[in-house]
Amino acid sequence: MAQDSFKPKILGFLCNWCCYAAADSAGVGRYQYPPNLRTIRLMCTGRIDPMFIIEGFVCGADGIFAGG
Amino acid sequence: MISDNYNEDLAITRAPHKDYPQAVPASFYIDPKKCLFLNYETCQICIPTCQAKAIDFSQKEERLDLSVGAVILAPGFGRISDKVLARYGYGHFPDVVTSLEFERIMCASGPSRGEIIRPSDGKHPQKIAFLQCIGSRDITSGNGYCSSVCCMYAVKEATVVKEHAPDVDISIFYMDMRTAGKGFDASRQRARDTHHLRFIRSRVAEVRERGDKLRLSYADSEGNHREDDFDMVVLSVGLESPEDAQSLARTAGIKLNQYDFCDTKAFLPLDASRPGVYVAGAFQGPKDIPESVMQAIGSAAAAAEILREARGTEVIRKEYPSEMGIAKEPRIGVFVCHCGINIGGVIDITEVAKYAQTLKDVVFVDDSLYSCSQDSQKVIKDAIKEHNLNRVVVAACTPRTHEPLFQETLRDIGLNRCLFEMVNIRDQCSWVHAHEPEEATSKAKDLVRMAVAKARLLYPLPEQTVPVIPKALVIGGGIAGMTAASSIAEQGFECFLVENSAQLGGNLRRLKTTLTGEDPGQLLNEVEARVRNHPRIRVYTNTQIENVSGYIGNFASTLSTETGSEVIEHGVVVVATGGREHRLNKYLYGQSKHVLTQLELEEILSAPEKAKKINEVVMIQCAGSRGDDLSYCSKLCCGQAVKNALRLKELNPAASIYVLYRDVRTYGFMEDYYREAREKGVVFIKYEKENPPVVMPNDDKITVEFMDVLLGEKVKLEPDLVALSVGIVPNEVEELAKLLKIPLNQENFFLEAHVKLRPVEMAVSGVYVCGLAHSPKPIDESIGQARAAAGKACVPLSKGFVAVEPIVSSVGKDKCIGCGICESLCPYKAIHLIKVDKKKKAETITASCKGCGICAAHCPTLAISMGGFTNEEIMAQIRAFGQC
Amino acid sequence: MGREHGAKSGAVLVVGGGVAGVQAALDLAEMGFHVYLVEKSASIGGAMARLDKTFPTNDCAL
Repeated sequence: MAQDSFKPKILGFLCNWCCYAAADSAGVGRYQYPPNLRTIRLMCTGRIDPMFIIEGFVCGADGIFAGG
Repeated sequence: MISDNYNEDLAITRAPHKDYPQAVPASFYIDPKKCLFLNYETCQICIPTCQAKAIDFSQKEERLDLSVGAVILAPGFGRISDKVLARYGYGHFPDVVTSLEFERIMCASGPSRGEIIRPSDGKHPQKIAFLQCIGSRDITSGNGYCSSVCCMYAVKEATVVKEHAPDVDISIFYMDMRTAGKGFDASRQRARDTHHLRFIRSRVAEVRERGDKLRLSYADSEGNHREDDFDMVVLSVGLESPEDAQSLARTAGIKLNQYDFCDTKAFLPLDASRPGVYVAGAFQGPKDIPESVMQAIGSAAAAAEILREARGTEVIRKEYPSEMGIAKEPRIGVFVCHCGINIGGVIDITEVAKYAQTLKDVVFVDDSLYSCSQDSQKVIKDAIKEHNLNRVVVAACTPRTHEPLFQETLRDIGLNRCLFEMVNIRDQCSWVHAHEPEEATSKAKDLVRMAVAKARLLYPLPEQTVPVIPKALVIGGGIAGMTAASSIAEQGFECFLVENSAQLGGNLRRLKTTLTGEDPGQLLNEVEARVRNHPRIRVYTNTQIENVSGYIGNFASTLSTETGSEVIEHGVVVVATGGREHRLNKYLYGQSKHVLTQLELEEILSAPEKAKKINEVVMIQCAGSRGDDLSYCSKLCCGQAVKNALRLKELNPAASIYVLYRDVRTYGFMEDYYREAREKGVVFIKYEKENPPVVMPNDDKITVEFMDVLLGEKVKLEPDLVALSVGIVPNEVEELAKLLKIPLNQENFFLEAHVKLRPVEMAVSGVYVCGLAHSPKPIDESIGQARAAAGKACVPLSKGFVAVEPIVSSVGKDKCIGCGICESLCPYKAIHLIKVDKKKKAETITASCKGCGICAAHCPTLAISMGGFTNEEIMAQIRAFGQC
Repeated sequence: MGREHGAKSGAVLVVGGGVAGVQAALDLAEMGFHVYLVEKSASIGGAMARLDKTFPTNDCAL
């Protein structure tokens, strides 16, 4: 039961040109996925400074997702 | 109260109204047909009621005389008459509705707010029938043509119903499923499989009322009489010529065809009969949105060709107010969008708005039904003025499509457009968490909080532009490439036309006739002469593209010609690499001399003596397409088969011709030729994908065996020839796609930037596509699309500059230590070291920078900043995520 | 205006404010021509503005 109630907070960094666009397409196609992800749009995942990831965990993220 | 025309008269409105919230122009208008004052000189209540005193009945109709250099006719289409619809119970039974009415019933902003209900009793229908070809493919209704769009919209409407109410049972009664466009077949199949739509191949004979249901009588594919009851019947109405087509034609001095659509020729699909008058959209013939958009861009290009000397003589430049200085303290306005029920139906907008109010530096919050509507822009502008806002956050759909619109609103009021941040609570929230409204609401709140945190740190960025080399490179010398090059040159720009084979012309060289009787050889000679002799076109044959570097406005390409390599500089690229007949490994193709492709048959038919000896032909449609070889429909084969069949009948009227098909896709006016072929005795027999015809060797001859569904038995024929509709494949373009960094779809056709609204642009700015490289299509559509690609390509060429998105990197020279890591990592060669006061410092090459931020992420001294994506802004978003 | 006699006009008349007319008007304006867009009803958008969604992506039509 404990496992079921675990609702991880996931922080996502999404590339505007691919993963962010794909996430939009997922919406257009009405694909349903769990609502645990909060995203930050970047122009490229190359923008991700390791500092961002550390800060994400410090701020309480249970997982970090980089989509590019 | 009067009936609401915008909502197909399913709702009521008042005489003074506007059609819908996003209507442009956004002002109300008075319906003159319904206004009591204008008709009976009474009422006038509106005059004192209007606080703005905006109603003035003394206004008179004005006559304007405009002097113009060209005219583009795009009056759209008309409606199928009620008399035709009445045959199917429309007008008698309230639950028989047209597809356009049904469109409004489904729509969130429609009369029932998107709830799918029957007009008669407001109940949810459990069983719906769609009747195809209403007022189309029906000479008794006066319309012999196919309306080309109904199959697609019926599948769409059925899909939307199923998404609303998965238990509804849907049957689509059709004659042929004509989902021939790019990606359409795949979508139809997906809709059928995921939503279990029933497709019944039959024309419904009668609709009767039976209790509170509607009873349909029809004959099934085996010829048996059947009846079935439905709660609601949707008539898939066709596209009629516009009601005022004849008067418009008289006024414009142009010819109409027999159906009162604008008369055009296959090789000049955009030219009306009078020089200087062009046509686009459904008035040229029934067509869907992408085709209409392509024709519109193409006709704009055509007008630009004849008016090239006058370009720019009468333009009025848009002036923006100078940017206001902004206070140091952020004053943020948050605007939350319902998007009809797209967002508001899932997310609690009031709660999100209330929450936004509590966030630091937020001084104004508002919500609107559609924040993209014109009146919402006014609300935003007024709020900026009234509340002195200096940052704006809009929580709505995706910034990828709508950010420019809101940024323009900011510019209009004098706020730098970089003081804007968008929150995606539709595509990435309400749409994907449709069944978890609470979770979606809480996600929306988190995303708004993160955006506000970022918005607090936004600062104005300058607008930058880069110059454009006013020359174009066109790759591919078939009819599409030659048409594009010719149009670009006629619009006044230099053009390099590069063909990898020895000759211009491509597939056009192999065509002998067209369905509508034009001479492809003459077209080839004319267009080839035009491009070869044009002072602004340089033709390269036997030439390959070795390399392409640069970006929109400043490309440099290396050509490898017979005499060596050459570098050319150009501002844009048009890709017209074409396609070719697919090569099959079945139906004994290549093994028996009796088995040919349709193009090979066309070659034989061009020699009448040979053709007269052909007494029996079996044509197999979809031999390559819509199956294991090619998954897609090749769109042009049905017309090609009908063309060859008619040609053979003309040369040898006694010849027996059997066309084995899956669906006959002679859309638009091609339908007339399909009917003619049937009338002349060509036999069309349907086969199922699972049960294709079999071609067997038979000594020196050949046998074709197939199932005749109507007879219910197998039929064997021994024809002189078997003609295969093998389908179209794109030419090899993987290397070129890599060079240009543009995506291909699964089938190796180039992927356009937006299937509906940007059908000739590609994901990389400055690169355009046309012809078979985009998708299989008949020659008239290739020509139209080529002109469209030329039109889009000439936009940056004629402007002379392109605007750079202010997301580029900038280097803080004080912090930079000249280590050069950025230069070594940049994938676009957009940052380099220069000497400043004898010290090495990095510097951005703005025109090349794509804003990826790799340099910023790796700078050891944090000297590089990205426009709109600074370290501080992103860190603020992360901290707001964790509320720390 | 004030164009020389006989010179071509840099203006184009577009009849119809549906998706085709609007697209043609926008492109002509971008190309450097003055456009008169004439629509007989009160707002532009034509039939497309009445569509709920569009095939095959089911994107919003408006």
